[in-house]
Amino acid sequence: MADTGAGKKRDGDGPIEVRFRGGGFAPRSLRWVGVAVFVVLIAMVQWGTESGWISALTLPKPTDVLATFRELWESGLLFKHLQPSLTRLVIGAALGASTGIAIGVLIGLFSYARAGLVPLVAAIFPIPKIALLPLFVIWFGIDEGSKYALIAFGTFTPTVVATYGAVDNVDRSLIRMGQSFGLSWSSIVRKIVLPGAMPGILSGLRISLAIAIILLVAAEMLGAEYGIGAYILEAGSLYDLERLFAGVVILSLLGVLVSALIGFLEKRLLGWRI
Amino acid sequence: MAAVSSHAGMLSGSYRVGMDIKLDGISHHYGHTEVLRNISLDIPAGQIVCLVGPSGCGKSTLLRLIGGLERPGNGRVLQVGAPPADSLNPLTFVFQDFALLPWRSVKGNVSLVLEDHGIRGKRSKAIIDDVLNRTKLADFADALPKQLSGGMKQRVAIARALAVNPAVMLMDEPLSALDAQTRELLMDDLVALWTRQPFTAVYVTHNLAEAVRLGHTIVVLSRRPGRIREIISIDTPISERRAGDPVCQRKHDLLWELMREEARAADEELIDG
Amino acid sequence: MKFNRRQTLGLMGAAAVTSLAAPAIAQNRKIVVGALRFTSHSGSFIALERGYFNDAGLDVELKFFQAAQPMAVAIASGDVDYAVTAVSGGLVSLADKGAIKVIGGALSEEKGIDGQKILASDAAFKSGLTSPSQLGGKTFGMSTAGSSFHYMGSKVAEAEGVEMSFKPLQKVGAIIGALKSGQIDAWSIVPHIAKPLAGSGAVHIIGNISDYLPGYQVTTVFTSAKNAADERDQTKDFLTGFGKGVSDYNSTMIDKAGGDAGVNEMVDLIHKYVYTDRPREKAAPSIINGTMRINEGSKLNIASLRDQLEWFQAEDLVGKDITLDTLVDGSYVETYEG
Repeated sequence: MADTGAGKKRDGDGPIEVRFRGGGFAPRSLRWVGVAVFVVLIAMVQWGTESGWISALTLPKPTDVLATFRELWESGLLFKHLQPSLTRLVIGAALGASTGIAIGVLIGLFSYARAGLVPLVAAIFPIPKIALLPLFVIWFGIDEGSKYALIAFGTFTPTVVATYGAVDNVDRSLIRMGQSFGLSWSSIVRKIVLPGAMPGILSGLRISLAIAIILLVAAEMLGAEYGIGAYILEAGSLYDLERLFAGVVILSLLGVLVSALIGFLEKRLLGWRI
Repeated sequence: MAAVSSHAGMLSGSYRVGMDIKLDGISHHYGHTEVLRNISLDIPAGQIVCLVGPSGCGKSTLLRLIGGLERPGNGRVLQVGAPPADSLNPLTFVFQDFALLPWRSVKGNVSLVLEDHGIRGKRSKAIIDDVLNRTKLADFADALPKQLSGGMKQRVAIARALAVNPAVMLMDEPLSALDAQTRELLMDDLVALWTRQPFTAVYVTHNLAEAVRLGHTIVVLSRRPGRIREIISIDTPISERRAGDPVCQRKHDLLWELMREEARAADEELIDG
Repeated sequence: MKFNRRQTLGLMGAAAVTSLAAPAIAQNRKIVVGALRFTSHSGSFIALERGYFNDAGLDVELKFFQAAQPMAVAIASGDVDYAVTAVSGGLVSLADKGAIKVIGGALSEEKGIDGQKILASDAAFKSGLTSPSQLGGKTFGMSTAGSSFHYMGSKVAEAEGVEMSFKPLQKVGAIIGALKSGQIDAWSIVPHIAKPLAGSGAVHIIGNISDYLPGYQVTTVFTSAKNAADERDQTKDFLTGFGKGVSDYNSTMIDKAGGDAGVNEMVDLIHKYVYTDRPREKAAPSIINGTMRINEGSKLNIASLRDQLEWFQAEDLVGKDITLDTLVDGSYVETYEG
């Protein structure tokens, strides 16, 4: 009684309405709040840079960034930069994610693969892949090879870890069911293990692909004339904040796009989830 | 027991040539824990044999041994006689947790067990339609498991088991995950299924009402290590058994007398660790 | 002077005591000078070691950087007061944002004096890249777009009437690696890096930058716009101290005023800052090889700066509306059109 009545005046012995205490902890979808935060932040920066309260050295004017963006679009340079970057991203991430899923499934299914590969993956996971870039240049050449390799390597490890975790989490009773009906090993893997691991694999991909975008900039450090990463690095070395921000915005948009893509895939592939 | 067997054989007519299961001196250990000791049992074709016993007595383990999902430490599980020629999976399980693939529809879950036998297209559709009709699921063929109630899910699992035309159904507490009302309804369904087309089943349960309602023979196992304490048969045809039926009630009470001490001992054993 | 130096050496880092040793100085202002561990920064090292900064009334702290780029940013942010670095697009951009000013010249190319070399990888050399005229269609290494390497390569290609593609590799180490392994075909760099590389046989010297860019103002002395405008005395004092260091360097290392003994003594001094990871006997040839004349009195070749600015603008690396006055404050040193 004391607890439920806390915070309320107790007058006499009259009935006290039970205090509601079940609120919160239930996220609701409030999309406009996110938009509002962006708008307010950008408006503040615009006002700050125009009034001189924020110096030109600190932040560029959002309108100038927009103008730079428009210039990029109109000159066709945007696509000159986007095309190689997207190619690197798609090829690198596809290589890394597919080998990652394959190795992850192997680790999930075979004890020898697990015993042999899990320590190896644990050993290469924390290596900053950027540190290996010069080595990749020697192994795979300064052109596209080293860039694919860097992105592939960076997406590989998180995908492996996510995948074998997902395979481990596949409901064992479903696998036993498959065996009890005399399903072949390959049928069990294709029809039970892989679809069952799909949620885990997809949420792993969400992280791996974000890492791929991060690594895009690193991959384009060496020998890239065109590419969003190269564009950002060049802007940085020229201390051209408008271009730097325009490039960063493109990367952000790319991230949002990839996330939306995976969201779409999840809707399509994982509609069966409760 | 032979009498019961022939009786069932008469009922099923020529449909089931009959494949009996014979357990020959089965013992089993998990590590140092002995779970089953020297179990010998005949499971005749066309009969439902219920395995009851206190929790932890190894009845589910015994079922897995019969189904070949585990290897017995000692003794053998024998198939006597050939399964029907059209049986795709002679020993077929129905699990307590249904074990439906959540990403496949009702139809897809049944088709899963046919695909590996190369049954597709028209033949597959005919079988699926048949088993869904028999389990009263024809209208839900395209539904996903998440849309179904517990009782419907278990009917899907039963339909799936029927699709492979099993010689023996191995049912591991199939109704335990369901509420009491649903359980009653499903028992009626099982009785109707069996009456229409008798099947052989080993039915594991800890619920004596289910055993008395469905079992031709009820095998009582002792607490761990599980041994056969008693085999009780009920002659009343299962389609005629009703709740509160005096014969059934007597058998139920008898079973409870047999099990009470075992159950208490098993319970205390668990507390003692 | 000898007394002064010995004292400074003896009491290195003890600012309070050194200021006692120079009692004539009214103020002892603390400033931070940025430097890279290159022989071309010897002016600052000598001025500090020999007390020239103290004589000018400055208490100098050297702050070392791995690359010129962060040093320029440090000046813009006010963490560093003065530094010497190559003119680059980034520097111009910072000047345009009102953050920095070029106030003097340091290293410049001169015909007849050993300057920056054009290098070819061994593979490219063997397939016929033996002179800059064959650079057409080749790849040329650079740290970033708008760097001095980019400028030099472009100017050479322009003079030869050929087209090259430029590979940004961020760091000098990465460029050297790429050149050695034949991933890029050509590059240009200061002689103290070029010569040992060529000596190893992995790369070949195929030309001199001074043949294409005579009088090229490679590095400049620069400071924050605020220092240039508001701290005129301090800036003058810095240039005075720095100039003395440069004079010592030129006379000892190039004109050999002190003979071999003078050179040796100077190598000892420079070795405290450059190639510190190598023993003296191994560092000495590199230090001596790397000798380049630094402009006396920080004279500034304004024509070269104009050319560089125009090139950056033509390449769309910096704003078209930036004028030379935005970049340079010519009021401190003698400027010339070379």
